[in-house]
Amino acid sequence: MEIITRLGDVFIGLIQSSGLMTLSWENYVMIVISFMLMYLAIKKQYEPLLLLPIAFGMMLVNIFPGIMGNPVTQLMTYDQVVASGLDPASYTTSAQLLTYDQAVSAGFDPAALTTTVLKDGSKFYEIVYYNVTANGGLFYYLYQGVHLGIFPPLIFLGIGAMTDFGPLIANPKSFILGAAAQIGIFITFIGAILLGFQANEAGAISIIGGADGPTAIFVTSKLAPELLGPIAVAAYSYMALVPIIQPPIMKLLTTKKERSIVMGQLRPVSKLEKIIFPIVVVVIVAILLPDAAPLVGMLMLGNLFKESGVVDRIAKTAQNELMNIVTIFLGVTVGATASGTLFLTPKTLGIILLGLIAFCLGTACGVLFGKIMCWATKGKINPLIGSAGVSAVPMAARISQKVGQEENPANFLLMHAMGPNVAGVIGSAVAAGVLISVLK
Amino acid sequence: MDNLMLALSLLLAGFIVVFVVLILLIVIITVYGKIIQAGQKSAENRREKKKIRRAEAEGKPTEPSKASAYIPPNQLDDDEIPGEIIAVIAAAVDAVYGDKPHKVRSVKRSRNGRSAWGNAGIMRSTRPF
Repeated sequence: MEIITRLGDVFIGLIQSSGLMTLSWENYVMIVISFMLMYLAIKKQYEPLLLLPIAFGMMLVNIFPGIMGNPVTQLMTYDQVVASGLDPASYTTSAQLLTYDQAVSAGFDPAALTTTVLKDGSKFYEIVYYNVTANGGLFYYLYQGVHLGIFPPLIFLGIGAMTDFGPLIANPKSFILGAAAQIGIFITFIGAILLGFQANEAGAISIIGGADGPTAIFVTSKLAPELLGPIAVAAYSYMALVPIIQPPIMKLLTTKKERSIVMGQLRPVSKLEKIIFPIVVVVIVAILLPDAAPLVGMLMLGNLFKESGVVDRIAKTAQNELMNIVTIFLGVTVGATASGTLFLTPKTLGIILLGLIAFCLGTACGVLFGKIMCWATKGKINPLIGSAGVSAVPMAARISQKVGQEENPANFLLMHAMGPNVAGVIGSAVAAGVLISVLK
Repeated sequence: MDNLMLALSLLLAGFIVVFVVLILLIVIITVYGKIIQAGQKSAENRREKKKIRRAEAEGKPTEPSKASAYIPPNQLDDDEIPGEIIAVIAAAVDAVYGDKPHKVRSVKRSRNGRSAWGNAGIMRSTRPF
């Protein structure tokens, strides 16, 4: 009979500690959203490298919130430590001085405590506490790479090692388009302020317009860490939706004639130029904007590894193993910041809406500057490459190519669009530096 | 109101700083690109002149480029490239360089490097996100 009662207690305990009893409706909504994201990643292949770990992290944290739990330090007396079955010798101690009344009301026997008498004759009772720390959840520790701004620069190292800046060096004017696409960031900042966001929050939201996931995470971790979940999810979602969001804006702002412009071939770029490029960019950007140095520095270090041709092993590691490992950690922990109660708020809706506006404005500004350059060069530049100034590499450049080919199947804009595209990566890192230095 | 002023000043400051930094980069990259190109061109010219001088000193007439001479396909060695192919390559080079002065000095078959399939595989597996 006793066995049955015990068994019943065990089952009741299990059910009470299970998700069925502890989860709120917000958690269930987030679990359903994570399923949808997994579907988009696997079936539709929208940015699966990031969306899949993000969606899985989101699901895990909403089923078991403790996986993101902070480590908790508890002050325990000697008796409590022993009663918990722990070894007092393995914990650090801290002492507290109490008056007689305080010691009695805290449940101690003053006679058993060490006393300290001060010069004025007042007597205090010393209580020794043990600092017993319970470890945090697995994702709490992995998340430190995001929280401390370590992962985004490491991702940039990998991106730098994969990127060919040749088209940008061959046509440095592409930098103008890379800069133009960042204007959306600063215009959205005004919108966010008008919607009632704090200046630091507005800065973190507006960087979504740069269409650069690592940069968005880096800026948010510095300016408004509490908004990291919604901002990262919005940034990566919009990057995945580039093929849907950009073409209508590009077609709306350009004429058929402009879209059909065939651009001349780019000049070949020598190895020496490619080696000097990352060094020059770092020196200029880091001197003028030290806050952009971690991102631009790592991007250019990766590129120097690739272009120098003397550290092939390191370049390959940065491109593949390191990049993949960091991507896994970044993805699952960013997803894990989206726990139901924190995520499902009106603020998140505002962030998602403002992010979309920022993204559309960035694309529009890029195309409009492309039109200006087209006019200035008497029709030698196809304005479609301007939309690639948002730094979703290489997706945005592919869209320029695709929209251009719809008008003229013999038109190859891809390499021309790669110039503004990689300039956009540098441009968004510079914009991030401006936001951090002004708002931090 | 204070926040709006901050927003407007950030808009202007951000706009100016981003453009100034990137325009500075345009200037520097254009200048060093020109310097390097000029340096490489003069080094190439020097090499060419040296070659001609050496040939003259040895009393040999300078050989015309093989690429420009038409050789019927049945008289070619295994390693030589047929004239038609050379013509196609020259046309492609012309399409790339357009109105800039250019000359095809030699055509070499590239044997190292990956196949188109290999490249496609690498593109696919290293595609950034």
